[in-house]
Amino acid sequence: MALQPAAGARDLIPQQVKKNQEITKRLAEVYKLWGYEEVSPPRIERLDTLTAGGGIANEDIVRLVADEPLGLRPELTASIARSACTRLKTRERPLRLWASGTTFESRVAAGGGIYIEENLQSGVELFGVKNISAELELLSLLLESLFKLEIDSSHKTKLLLGNTCLMDLVLENYEGKIRNKIKHNLIDYNKIGLEDLEIDIEKVNGLISILEMRGPASEIINKLKEKYGEEEPIRDLARLFKQLEPIAEEKGVILQLDPTFQPHFELYNGLVFQLVCEGKSSPVVIARGGRYDKLVASCGAKSSEAAGAGFSFSIDAIREQITTINKDILVDNNRTLITYGPQSSLEDAMVNQRELHKNGITAVLELDCCNTLEEARSLLPARNCQHIKWLNN
Amino acid sequence: MITVALAKGALLKDSVARFATAGLDFSDVLDPDNRQLMVPSKCGSARALLVRNGDVPVYVAYGQAQLGVVGYDVLKEHQMPVAHLVDLGFGGCRMSVAVKEESIYKCAADLPPHCRIASKFTNCARDFFDSLDLPVELVHLTGSVELGPITGIAEAIVDLVATGRTLRDNGLVSIEDLFHSTARLVGHPLSLRLDRGLLQEVVDSMRT
Repeated sequence: MALQPAAGARDLIPQQVKKNQEITKRLAEVYKLWGYEEVSPPRIERLDTLTAGGGIANEDIVRLVADEPLGLRPELTASIARSACTRLKTRERPLRLWASGTTFESRVAAGGGIYIEENLQSGVELFGVKNISAELELLSLLLESLFKLEIDSSHKTKLLLGNTCLMDLVLENYEGKIRNKIKHNLIDYNKIGLEDLEIDIEKVNGLISILEMRGPASEIINKLKEKYGEEEPIRDLARLFKQLEPIAEEKGVILQLDPTFQPHFELYNGLVFQLVCEGKSSPVVIARGGRYDKLVASCGAKSSEAAGAGFSFSIDAIREQITTINKDILVDNNRTLITYGPQSSLEDAMVNQRELHKNGITAVLELDCCNTLEEARSLLPARNCQHIKWLNN
Repeated sequence: MITVALAKGALLKDSVARFATAGLDFSDVLDPDNRQLMVPSKCGSARALLVRNGDVPVYVAYGQAQLGVVGYDVLKEHQMPVAHLVDLGFGGCRMSVAVKEESIYKCAADLPPHCRIASKFTNCARDFFDSLDLPVELVHLTGSVELGPITGIAEAIVDLVATGRTLRDNGLVSIEDLFHSTARLVGHPLSLRLDRGLLQEVVDSMRT
């Protein structure tokens, strides 16, 4: 059997690489327009950095065999937050940074073995803004980026938003084990689990009604106001949606506010969101992000600056969704094959190649001698070239 | 279009009947001559995937099916990230520990440490014996588990018991139940969160 890559590892062919580069380039252009500066965080980090803020479980990290506890980064945020709080701690806030690169996550495969999931990500982080202004900027930037990727209404894209503060409001009257159980059941969308809880049936029905809250954001916000009053997170959401709704409508993105949407891990402490496309057979998450002030605090930021929020695009997921990227970018239609006959030599061909390269023309050497021009021409399709240079004197 | 994963076998007829209450008629899957594995509903707005019991939570967890019907025993064994929506009530059975009729063991805690337990549901069995702090050696079998104590490969088995007839016919007796299992409506969590009412309508109709 031929040698195979490790389970889950990316092993891309040229066209996939070109598409990834094009997507990353377009995103970088938007980030730069908004004043974000590029950083390049390390692929290898200490485990205490990677697990800071509760963003990832220990078992999900690909560990390295070393004297100190090291692992491959499962995402970019923790490393950038560490950098923002150490080498960049004297920089003025707000601090706007972006990065792209591969991430590695360890998973248990269906068969029981370990599966290392390698992904290319590109995203931004905004540090030092404690109020909703950060979310207003980030989500506007997210939608703007989407436009540059030519992801439009045909992809039936939805921006799913939740807020951990809303979950706190939902759980405000519960404590201890029952609070944890309710939270887990709400996050898991486990209605039967809620019904099985030993609490008053009216309370169960109330929790289920929040779990099932769907519809236009303004309606949901009004329902939340009726239930919990004019709390700050609800006011912030109202402001956020007022800003986002016209942009989303213009870009063909549906906004979905879900009061109980949040991941299991503890990284986020405020707004949390996912951008989801309708894939061929199932929904595909192409970007995710949120606010992670606690992570920034755990990296050593002083309390007045302990604020961070960001998002990250999954480039590999986007690549599979976009079919509209200009084919000229993906296929080089101006390749010249330099061939030589019995009266010439490879050395002559290389001289000729240098001339073409000087003029910016992609020139590929045919290393073996061809007997005739016809024989040389017959090689064009196999060498993926459109033009020929024939040397035979 | 809504895609539902239906388990072939004992739960199929009742699953089709419950989806019919939600206006989705998949009765074509019950046709003995049907060999199709992806069957559209009569109204054309949904389709059913006919899959093996253990594959229902897999199709739902990966989002290829937004909804599915499967027994709680399968959900507990596979632990896939699916939303548990409605206890449909049918397909009732027990997950039980069973031993030979003449066995001296009268409850699970009586079993000797490090004894062999045969089961198709090794995750359920492991959780159960862990909760008793009783170390056991699990032997994974894929069927005819009742043969375990008869042949001597295991002192006891952990298996589903519906009427108890198979146990009796093979000279076995149930000594303790792990849990009671019924059919559950499950859903793909992200699809449910992105839903604008279509899936919710089906779930609500099947609840009643």
